[in-house]
Formats: sequence, C-alpha cells, structure tokens
Amino acid sequence: MTELACRKCKFINIDSTVCKNCGSTELTREWYGYLIIIDPEKSEVAKKLGIKIPGKYALKVG
Amino acid sequence: MSKYFAVKTTANQERVVANLMEMTVKKYRLGVYSVLAPRELKGYVIVEAEKMEDLLTAIRGLPHVKGVVKGETALAEIEHFLAPRKAAEQIKEGFKVEIVSGPFKGELAVVKRVDEAKNEITVELIEAVVPIPVTVKADHVRIVDKSEEV
Repeated sequence: MTELACRKCKFINIDSTVCKNCGSTELTREWYGYLIIIDPEKSEVAKKLGIKIPGKYALKVG
Repeated sequence: MSKYFAVKTTANQERVVANLMEMTVKKYRLGVYSVLAPRELKGYVIVEAEKMEDLLTAIRGLPHVKGVVKGETALAEIEHFLAPRKAAEQIKEGFKVEIVSGPFKGELAVVKRVDEAKNEITVELIEAVVPIPVTVKADHVRIVDKSEEV
C-alpha cells in the first residue's frame, strides 16, 4: 500500500497513479503532515486551506 | 464554532489514531470535523470538534490513545502547522547553526549561502582549520544563533 500525495491539491491517494480529487498525475511519495477532513462545511481548518472535499490530505508536499 | 483539542497518542502512531478516529466519527456521525497530525508534533493529534463529548466518544476504546490534554487550544495556535514554511526560509546568511545529521553531525557552522528553491544551505564549519564550504539540506541543521555575525 503506497500513499501518494498530489502535488497540486495535496490529496492523498492510496495505490493510484491519478489523483482522485483533481485528476492530476503529478503524485509524490515525498510528503509529510497528515490531515483528515471529515466535514469540510463545518471545519474551520478546511475553510482556511480551501478544502471542499472530505478526505486525507498532506500538509506539505515535496 | 469549533473547538480544538490535543489528544496524546503513542509516538509514530498518530496517523493510525487519526484513521481510526475518522472511522468512528463516520460510523456514529459525531461532531468531529477534522483531525490533524503534524510532523512537528510527535505523539499528539489535534482534533477539531463541536464539543468535548464528541471527541471523547470518538476516542473511546481506541488503541494507541493515551489521553486528552486538559483544556482546549485555538485555531491561531495551530495555524502554523497548516502552512509549514520551508526550513531554508527561516535561515539567513551569517546565522550560526548546528548540523544535526550526516557526517558532520554535532559540528557548529556559519551559514554562507541559502538556496531556498532547493531547500539547501552552504555552511563553513567553525572548528575546521581550513574553511571548506559544505552544502547540506536546510532540514539537517538547527539554528543556534541568529546574530548574523560575518
């Protein structure tokens, strides 16, 4: 199981070569910081980072 | 209005705890909105929740959870985890640094050049007889003195 973060939207994809969030193919193994957004409508953290889709995100990529 | 709590976990199990919490929250539809596990904060996860009770239900019985830190924290206090700055951006020429990994571990050095794009810095070891420039990753040094003496 490899967790790859998208360079564009920081979404973490598991065993995928294409980002399931934005469709980009620029995925990287080099990321750190872990953020799970469960409810993007109510979460202030999600609003601050401009996240609208629930899921797992990296805090920093590359 | 969300509240922020810190949950103590076993070191290096922060992501496991975060994933398990996500599952319980979805299962019981609790008022927990996000879970944050910054690399800088070992052994803790930060949880954004509606109220303390929701958080306590979410972590009840979970492995690797050691407890909840008393009191709550504010968004302003965790903001800096959300947008981590590159290590090189915090280092300026002339800073005294200690190298914390690699063959020069433990050596003190003075910063000569900073490459923010590559996240690398070039330093000269203080104790070396002949000053040789060494390029290291900015994450591999710790700032000792910011006085910018040249």
